[in-house]
Amino acid sequence: MIELKNVTRRFGETVAVDNINLTIETGEVCVLVGSSGCGKSTTLRMINRLLSHSDGDILVDGQDITTMNPQKLRLNMGYVIQGTGLFPHWTVARNIAMVPRLLKWPKERIDARVDELMTLLGLDPAIHADKFPQQLSGGQAQRVGVARALAADPNILLMDEPFGAVDAITRENLQLEMLRIQQQVRKTTVFVTHDIDEALRLATRIAVMDQGRIIQHDTPENILRRPASDFVENLVGKQDRGLKLMSLRPVRDLMTAHATPRPPEAGAEGLKEEDNVRLALSVMLWRDLPQLAVINARGEETGFITRDSIIGAGA
Amino acid sequence: MATPGHVSGQALPNRVIPALGLLALALVWLMELGTIQPNRIVPGTGHGLLSAVGWLGAGLVTGALAGAIVLSFLSLRRRYWLLLGVVGLSLALMPLLLDVFALRHLPENAPYARSSIGAGFWCLLFLLSLMLIEILGRLRAGRSLQLMLLVVIATSWLLLLGAEGLESLSLVREFNARPDQFEQALRTHLALAFGAVAISAVVAFLLALKMIRSPGWQRPILGAVSFLQTIPSLAVFGLLIAPLSALSSAFPALQSLGIRGIGWAPAVLALIAYSLLPMVRNTYVAINGVPEHLVDAGRGMGMTERQLFLQVRLPLALPVIIEGVRITTIQAIGLTAVAALIGAGGFGGFIFQGLGEAAMDLVLLGALPTIGLALLADALLTMLAASLRPTPATT
Repeated sequence: MIELKNVTRRFGETVAVDNINLTIETGEVCVLVGSSGCGKSTTLRMINRLLSHSDGDILVDGQDITTMNPQKLRLNMGYVIQGTGLFPHWTVARNIAMVPRLLKWPKERIDARVDELMTLLGLDPAIHADKFPQQLSGGQAQRVGVARALAADPNILLMDEPFGAVDAITRENLQLEMLRIQQQVRKTTVFVTHDIDEALRLATRIAVMDQGRIIQHDTPENILRRPASDFVENLVGKQDRGLKLMSLRPVRDLMTAHATPRPPEAGAEGLKEEDNVRLALSVMLWRDLPQLAVINARGEETGFITRDSIIGAGA
Repeated sequence: MATPGHVSGQALPNRVIPALGLLALALVWLMELGTIQPNRIVPGTGHGLLSAVGWLGAGLVTGALAGAIVLSFLSLRRRYWLLLGVVGLSLALMPLLLDVFALRHLPENAPYARSSIGAGFWCLLFLLSLMLIEILGRLRAGRSLQLMLLVVIATSWLLLLGAEGLESLSLVREFNARPDQFEQALRTHLALAFGAVAISAVVAFLLALKMIRSPGWQRPILGAVSFLQTIPSLAVFGLLIAPLSALSSAFPALQSLGIRGIGWAPAVLALIAYSLLPMVRNTYVAINGVPEHLVDAGRGMGMTERQLFLQVRLPLALPVIIEGVRITTIQAIGLTAVAALIGAGGFGGFIFQGLGEAAMDLVLLGALPTIGLALLADALLTMLAASLRPTPATT
């Protein structure tokens, strides 16, 4: 758990972060979102003491971070930055092994961990381990960046606009990957972005920041439904909210379940239970169908979802 | 690696090699290949290509050059490898020309007679080397191939120069007259140049660190080392004589160490003074030029400042630092020759002695090894820097 209590950061006369209070529960993904210069990166960098805070207290698992050794603190916090920050003179494997080596793990344990992480992030160790970062695509390099942050299995993950420098398609893939990994490892994550869609997709809770203050700190659904101010309302896109809310809701919520799962009809294309309702509606509109089958992870048909149920449920 | 562009580039006629080849043909026929002198001082009689090595030798030289020119026009797939063979072999066997020349023209029972190398030979050597560089570039030759060629050609030269027939060669004569002095000069030259480079590398490293830690020192340090660089080299050597003489007469203990107004002490000091600017600037720019986001990443992941410096900043800066060492080393090897003027020894001694005696071959005996050392240092340090660079992106 990370707690920020009345935290202020001044650079000379300017106040970058203005008396904020924020609690990030263990295992949750807190996304700090706002335009550039709003203090979101400053907030993140105060948590691992790359910047000191001018006033207030920052506690990690109840302990004041100013009483801790900064290196020790950071070794237990994975750190991912925009443009990866991979070391160009080290191979992919050596980059991922960075923190375990600093922690002086035995070599076999490091090698095993590097293999495990590369596999987790969809990089084949046999192909990529000995490459240098410059030989990777933007998406691959960013995956290595995430693998490096997870290497020593830290409790906390700090991500500073990690997917800001990759193209839209790669970014979406990385976000899905991130959700998948988060389900497996459940790290307490602070994620900084200026992209509200990224925030809505990844966050357990979103903290909207403006001019050094936290305007609203709530779940994605509440941010969309009850924006605290015009600023937040504009940020999430006034007109677009209906569809954005749909994309937060899984198909599972609105489907009509069969009494028992059954094998799917041959050739019929179905939706997955965890696909979002917006996608379901889009598929139905495109293929002009009144309803679609829903398939679970084992490939069994567990129910169906209708166009009417989606429209009926509303935003 | 054979991209389509590369293949079509190979098939195009090459313009550089014919141009160099024609120039070499013209010069080797127009200029003197060598000279025969009755003794060391008297100017000798020059011989052109035909007169020097006869029809067979002249034919071989002309044939090799003409062959290279024709090959470079043919659109053969392997023509650069063929060219490499022709030009490489020609370079390796060049001393044979001098051998034949000496055998044909050196008078019998004239112990002081000597043959010396003419402008035509030097031009041929230079132009063939340029052709070799062009061919290696076209072949995108790796470091190992380049090194192998260098070793083959150098070995061939050493073997041929050591052979019987070339005893009469004036350069060899000058060398044979003073092998101990030559060895001594080589040792002194290397010690002076590399000693000065090593000391200034350490000093420059510390100065660069100081500049990075306290930016206020940046201007005074850079100003001071730039000022040192602007003083003409002879002036530095001269200027150091007075204070060092005064020092050594004030402290006799220094004299026993060999520190006097002339000799190695002022030479090393002057060489260090000259080496500081390129070294300090490169080291400072290199360490400061490590991208801040990498340092930030390292620090954010829990590296201490010491680990950051040793594992991130220094390795990333090293190729640029070595570039500074390379420039400085070449400069120091050249300057050391001048340091002979204040009695420091080294190959400069031969140059100035030769100038004094109007014996050009003795000048060459000092100049050629100096050039050779500089080229060797350049090649080795370039390779070192290249091997330390992270692998470039490949597609």
